[in-house]
Amino acid sequence: MEEKEFDLEQMEKETEEMLRINMLTPENAKFTRTAGGFVSLETGGEKYPRVQVVRMFPFTDPGHFISIRTTEERSKEIGIIEDMSSLDADTRKMLEEQLNLRYFTPVITKIINVKDEYGYAYFDVMTDRGECRFTIHMGGSDVVHLTETRIIISDLDENRFEIPDVTKLSATERKKIDLFL
Amino acid sequence: MNENNLNEAPKKEEPRVPKAIRQIVSEKGAENERIVAAAATDMNEACQYADGFIVLTEKHLFVFAAESESREPRNFKGYLSIKDMERERDFDWKCTVFENDSIKKLKIEPQVAISLLIMEDENGIERVACVFSNLHRRKMHKFVREFDRLPGREEKFPEGEEGAPGKEKHKLPIGGHGPGGPRGFGGHGGPGGPENEEDEYCPICGMMYPNKDRKVCPRCIDRKTIFVRTFKYFARYKALMALMVLMYLLVALLNLVWPYLNGTVLYDYVLTKNEDFLLSVGIKNGDFVLALFFVILTMFMARLMGQLLTILQGVFTARIVSRVVCDMKKDIFNVMGKLSISFFKSRQTGSLMTRVLSDAERVAGFFIDQVPYIFIHAFTLITTFAVMFKINWKMALVALVLEPIAFIFSFYIRPRFWNAFGKRHRAERSINSQVNDNLTGARVVKAFGQEENEENRFVGTNKRLKDAEMSIVGLENYNTLVFSFAHGGAGILIWALGAFFILGRHTMALGVLITFTGYVSQLDGPMRFASWIFRAWADSMNAAQRMFEIIDAVPEVTEAENPVPLEKVEGSIELKNVTFGYEVNRPVLKNINLTIPAGSMLGIVGRSGAGKTTLVNLISRMYDPEEGSILIDGIDIKELAFRDLRRNVAMVSQETYIFMGTVEENIAYANSSATKQEIIRAAKLASAHEFIMRLPDGYNTVVGASGRELSGGERQRISIARAILADPKILILDEATASVDTETERAIQTSINYLVKGRTTISIAHRLSTLRDADFLCVLDNGEITERGTHEELKDLKGTYFKLMELQTKALALRE
Ligand SMILES: Nc1ncnc2c1ncn2[C@@H]1O[C@H](COP(=O)(O)OP(=O)(O)O)[C@@H](O)[C@H]1O
Ligand SMILES: [Mg+2]
Repeated sequence: MEEKEFDLEQMEKETEEMLRINMLTPENAKFTRTAGGFVSLETGGEKYPRVQVVRMFPFTDPGHFISIRTTEERSKEIGIIEDMSSLDADTRKMLEEQLNLRYFTPVITKIINVKDEYGYAYFDVMTDRGECRFTIHMGGSDVVHLTETRIIISDLDENRFEIPDVTKLSATERKKIDLFL
Repeated sequence: MNENNLNEAPKKEEPRVPKAIRQIVSEKGAENERIVAAAATDMNEACQYADGFIVLTEKHLFVFAAESESREPRNFKGYLSIKDMERERDFDWKCTVFENDSIKKLKIEPQVAISLLIMEDENGIERVACVFSNLHRRKMHKFVREFDRLPGREEKFPEGEEGAPGKEKHKLPIGGHGPGGPRGFGGHGGPGGPENEEDEYCPICGMMYPNKDRKVCPRCIDRKTIFVRTFKYFARYKALMALMVLMYLLVALLNLVWPYLNGTVLYDYVLTKNEDFLLSVGIKNGDFVLALFFVILTMFMARLMGQLLTILQGVFTARIVSRVVCDMKKDIFNVMGKLSISFFKSRQTGSLMTRVLSDAERVAGFFIDQVPYIFIHAFTLITTFAVMFKINWKMALVALVLEPIAFIFSFYIRPRFWNAFGKRHRAERSINSQVNDNLTGARVVKAFGQEENEENRFVGTNKRLKDAEMSIVGLENYNTLVFSFAHGGAGILIWALGAFFILGRHTMALGVLITFTGYVSQLDGPMRFASWIFRAWADSMNAAQRMFEIIDAVPEVTEAENPVPLEKVEGSIELKNVTFGYEVNRPVLKNINLTIPAGSMLGIVGRSGAGKTTLVNLISRMYDPEEGSILIDGIDIKELAFRDLRRNVAMVSQETYIFMGTVEENIAYANSSATKQEIIRAAKLASAHEFIMRLPDGYNTVVGASGRELSGGERQRISIARAILADPKILILDEATASVDTETERAIQTSINYLVKGRTTISIAHRLSTLRDADFLCVLDNGEITERGTHEELKDLKGTYFKLMELQTKALALRE
């Protein structure tokens, strides 16, 4: 029980740890693939059997500022990768796989049909993952404009779909989603 | 399939599993095992949509993945039909089998928009078992819970063996069920239970309802019913409506007579001195001056009558409209009062305001300004045409020929109007919420010097509204243009043809032509009306639809139909296996068990975001738990009447609510029959009396929205006084002293000490000193109770509570 006595210094160290920004570079961090297909990390003399890879600016700067975190629910940041392109190809691929799973969002390439009925809008669209049919609620804020031309649509279950550039859609397609632009 | 296990105890119903899957499960050696849980999945690790299935039997876990990628469209909620659920999935299944005993842990890790089911084996290696979209998350969570409840699992893989000192391993002094406690709990079939699955689909089209609590299928409800429902609001004012329609008809009749008087009678009979006509109206001696006088008098009277009737009709209209709008708004507010908080959270408040204020008016306006005219104009149209045909069928045909073109055109552009109105509504809503934001946040905007930015933001939103309005106006112009063209064209043709008949053939009198053109211009009204009735229809049905969406909204928290009466309340509270999350994917409270004996005080500590407020919100039924139940005096709170519950549970919360009114009214909020003396006593006990007396108008000072501003601490003290006056059996203090200074806190503490006597109290506080008098304490972390016991017990435990305590005493020591 003695070692559990309250230690103010220890706490202050923890706090300091929390406030520090730890940059990960190829020199100080080694990522490896785990047997289960995840990614593990060795840095600063510590080994993390599995880490989470999270973007800080998923929309505006997906390739920079990647936070590497522990996997508990209340996860802690281990460090930050400032630039993905500074990594070697292998590591980058490994981390990108994790990012792809995390940020899975089908990209809408074609609008087949949109019908608006009694407070809900029914979408039938072609995406880069095949045809998808989903429904959104008109009353909420399910269509989010990231920029003037880029929109994210969340359906009733909060599945996400993206239109990266509405101006790339044909005029008839744009007309179908006119209501949301 | 070998299913005749007769000697097994009464079987629980097995989850539905496609035959092909069942077959493989049997072939792989689990034919004698009951299927405990099953769920479909829809993705693979390569981030593609692909069918999958996962089945849990008593001893094994089967993960199925379709070998070939399916090219079928993916149907998400709203498109998913009952057939999709019952469909046999004949893929080439790739099946991986795991022994349940080799799996240390099964957990769901939510990603941004999808989730992973992660399996940890005995060696601590984690791998992805399957990937699924949010469509399946509810069933998957259920699947994992079933897995955790398999017999024998908790002994083999006890929870929290990672050695966190906080994990619950010691004796539980206040209630709670230890490991292996009763599992499963009857009653309300958890969400998504197989027994009520069919109820989630529309019986007509088989599609899943977008909102399972509100059994309305947006596809199958048609717009006619919206019309009929709106009409019902008017049915209450039958007499007034009848009078109004009568006025309309009289005006129409007068209008019909007018061209005849003005044309044939005036020109052809009177001015051409037709003797027969004079005799037929009883004027002798060929007194044409008298006849002229009478004709003009009649014409004058007809006009006068017309005007009078129009005024009267306006009066009736105003009367009906205001009553109907009032009825509609009453309905909307009634429903809004009953709706649970989550309804409001999911919609912008600005949007609600536009709806309530303008939609009802729009709808009622349509019914009054347009609907009667449909009949009137139809009446005018038909009779006018009949008369025209009788006068000269050739010319009538010419007049008729161009009109339908315009009519068809406006019918055709109707959907564009519908869209434009929806768009305008959205823009209006954004403007409203932005203005709302800026008004409530005016101080922040100024403090950060953001006026200009806000203005720019506003300009952007405003432009959207302008664009929407412009597109409506554009469509209107387009529409009007076509109509004017058709109508004007018809008029010119008539004149030309008439001139030809009169001058060329001498087959027509001038008066007849004037009568005729009079009738043609009589068509002007109905035609103009027809040109924009479709637009008005789109506008009003668009608004009506939004209105009914609110009126139909089903509160997520509903009162029991036959509530159990609560006579004499003891005040004991029990939480049984309570699990709750605002979003299905992220449980905020996980399997909470807690018993609070009547009259005792429970203190809850935990970092911010741990779920403390959520826990007490469940007790006052702001939300219902997803799983488990909450009992007061052994009665499930779902069985209680709201009135009984609210009367017995009072909350002083972090977010104080001061409504517009006097201090006195604010304190007496929960007990309007309180005497002045009682109010003063409550204020004194809440240490509010002194500051109230320093206000210029004392207890009559108007506070709230547009009244006097109060400080955070002052507001809090008023809400404490309110709770004291409500005199509830159960008192909840959610950081009740968070925004007051230390001195005031001491004062309030004394009043709280008085207040808690004889009540069951739950007190949430950051400052542990506030919880000195608690009989029991518990530490909530990440939605779980990690420590519980008396102050002494927790101190000895040397966990989170101890850490917090030391920190606070040291901090105090440093300061003093
Ligand atoms: N209305 C809500 N909708 C969605 N999430 C919410 C809502 N209210 C609270 N939360 C989330 O639930 C968690 C617990 O919140 P809360 O019970 O208020 O914590 P505490 O009172 O312990 O500080 C937090 O992560 C918070 O973000
Ligand atoms: Mg809170």
